[in-house]
Amino acid sequence: MIDFARVQKELQECSREKDTSGIKVSPKSDNLARLTGIIPGPLGTPYEGGSFEIDITLPDGYPFEPPKMKFVTKVWHPNISSQSGAICLDILKDQWSPALTLKTALLSVQALLSAPEPDDPQDAVVAQQYLREYQTFVGTARYWTESFAKASSLGLEEKVQRLVEMGFAVGLVRSTLEAVGGDENLALEKLLSS
Amino acid sequence: MEDSTSGGEEDYYYSSDRESLDGLENEDSDFQWAPSKGPTTKVITKESLLAAQREDLRRVMDMLSLREHHARTLLIHYRWDVEKLLAVLVEKGKADLFAEAGVSVVECEDTGSPLLSSSTAMCDICMEELPGDTMTKMACGHRFCNDCWTEHFVVKINEGQSRRIRCMAHKCNAICDEAVVRSLVGKKHPDLAEKFDRFLLESYIEDNRMVKWCPSTPHCGNAIRVEDDEFCEVECSCGLQFCFSCLSEAHSPCSCMMWELWTKKCRDESETVNWITVHTKPCPKCHKPVEKNGGCNLVSCICGQAFCWLCGGATGRDHTWSRIAGHSCGRYKEDREKKTERAKRDLYRYMHYHNRYKAHTDSFKLESKLKETILEKVSISEERESRLRDFSWVTNGLYRLFRSRRVLSYSYPFAFYMFGEELFKDEMTNDEREIKQHLFEDQQQQLEANVEKLSMFLEEPFDQYTDDKVMEIRMQVINLSVIIDTLCKKMYECIENDLLGSLQCNTHNIAPYKSKGIEKASELAVCWNNKASTTADTCFPSDCGTSGKHDRPISLGSADDNGCPSQKRPKKETYGGAFFDLNLPAEVLDRN
Repeated sequence: MIDFARVQKELQECSREKDTSGIKVSPKSDNLARLTGIIPGPLGTPYEGGSFEIDITLPDGYPFEPPKMKFVTKVWHPNISSQSGAICLDILKDQWSPALTLKTALLSVQALLSAPEPDDPQDAVVAQQYLREYQTFVGTARYWTESFAKASSLGLEEKVQRLVEMGFAVGLVRSTLEAVGGDENLALEKLLSS
Repeated sequence: MEDSTSGGEEDYYYSSDRESLDGLENEDSDFQWAPSKGPTTKVITKESLLAAQREDLRRVMDMLSLREHHARTLLIHYRWDVEKLLAVLVEKGKADLFAEAGVSVVECEDTGSPLLSSSTAMCDICMEELPGDTMTKMACGHRFCNDCWTEHFVVKINEGQSRRIRCMAHKCNAICDEAVVRSLVGKKHPDLAEKFDRFLLESYIEDNRMVKWCPSTPHCGNAIRVEDDEFCEVECSCGLQFCFSCLSEAHSPCSCMMWELWTKKCRDESETVNWITVHTKPCPKCHKPVEKNGGCNLVSCICGQAFCWLCGGATGRDHTWSRIAGHSCGRYKEDREKKTERAKRDLYRYMHYHNRYKAHTDSFKLESKLKETILEKVSISEERESRLRDFSWVTNGLYRLFRSRRVLSYSYPFAFYMFGEELFKDEMTNDEREIKQHLFEDQQQQLEANVEKLSMFLEEPFDQYTDDKVMEIRMQVINLSVIIDTLCKKMYECIENDLLGSLQCNTHNIAPYKSKGIEKASELAVCWNNKASTTADTCFPSDCGTSGKHDRPISLGSADDNGCPSQKRPKKETYGGAFFDLNLPAEVLDRN
């Protein structure tokens, strides 16, 4: 059985500290076994400015068994599947300890965003890119953050729209925007110089 | 090796297993503390499992002055390899040794014991403020409430992690004290506590390189422990003979890898496939393999499609003997020819070895049946009024025949790989290979000839012969047995020294040849502790019912000192036909 008393306390603690940590956890329904976590993209990374939603399912043995977590928000990261959002993180598997909490687990996920481990990849394609073409990786990760992890991801479509209206091809506009991480001015400069 | 039986004890310990043909007595000279150089392969039964691990536990406990559970944690971490453990101790020191294995020996006074009930403390797991006496502190210093500990243990035991349950604190590597686990889990789930204990016990088998479960099906419940050499063949007390290293049937002089490849090769139809490549071509339309059974090069498939046998391409039907209308494929394709030739050659080569392997395996099976008729002849002969009383030479000879048949049959897959290109292509030049092959085949042929001769003599209807004639056969059988034993020994030596010894790759370990046959593991003595007694019979678990009892008091004979790998046993008296000693020189037997 899930220790709901503890989950309650964890939720209270999270909401108390959400201003300092930026991490939010809220139940999806009233049974507390399904929750949603939100972590802010760490500063100084391609994920900066993004807000990532994580689906949390508590197993019956919680907290003696690790919570199941996966990204709902699409994210470009060597240890997170770009398809399914599955996370490769030791503390969510065999290194879980009952002394860890949802908050500490989410903090670890956040730390994973700032420190990828490409040698132990979940997504081989991303990991390859990270190792071989780091700059492209950063570009794509930033573009994904821009496209999927921002409240105003429609902003991107507007940028595309505007650039297309200037007379550039849609495909080229998108790839250029992706390459510069969604910055409209940089993209325009690049488009003009090419 | 060294056992001689004193007559008085004989009947006392008699068991029906003695009558089995492989009833070579098991020597158990080390059933007490005395270390022995004799056979050290042991059967570990459910009952003796505890005793088996106690030896290692005791060593580590004495050496490091540790408590038993700490010693066990250490040994589990180092996979019951005491030597490795000691090496780490010498290299890194006690502190690191303990830390790596998760042993915390810094004993706080209140370790494992509840706090005073007056004080309360916060349990970081359930986040409740609880009275101190409902909490437990582990040796690592982390304190949580009993309910949370119990739940943690239950989850870990159910996950099959009993052997290494770590503390609940994040990143704490300490292994929980087994006594605490046992007592807390036992209070709520006695069945799980039992499971926990069993897992701990079985760690000695599961985590130990030198101990393996007997691969018998249905499982006999035993495990086998070897000493020194993992590459050996053993016989469990349930009667199953197997290769300790790969757990398949005993297969020396094949290495495990050769045997695996061979069985796979025999099993799958790769050779059939080979035949098909050599003798057929696929129809270009329906892709069925088509065999040409004569005629010109225009072949028509049963589906109606005509095609050119030379190139396999679809054609029309108009043709002469020399050409097909509108079709030309005259260019010689050396590549394909070569491939076909090769496949053909490989197939014939395989067939050569396989046929001989099969022939000896089949003979072996037939001779096993023959055993009964021969034993019958023995009993008839024994009934007869005759000055010949001792027929142990028959069973001895029969046993030698079985042994050498097996060796012979496995020597063919060995040769197949030894002199083939699959495993040792770049290890030898063609000349070297040829020399080695001749060397080996000479020995193999000698052995083969003698084995057949022995087989012939044993099949003689000696129960109908006169005493003189029987004596003659007896001489032949005894002599042949000795010769065959020597030839087997020489063949193994040749393999080890001349064939494999000079090669770079050393992945082929051959279980050594033993004159007396595959070593029968002996029951592990369980009297090492306070039950020590002076009589041998109490030294064995009373309920090891399946095993052949061989626990006769033993007067130590001198161990073999002539440097021969197959240790010879001292002369011993024989009792009836069920006994035989394969290693007595012929002249000794003659004097009997």
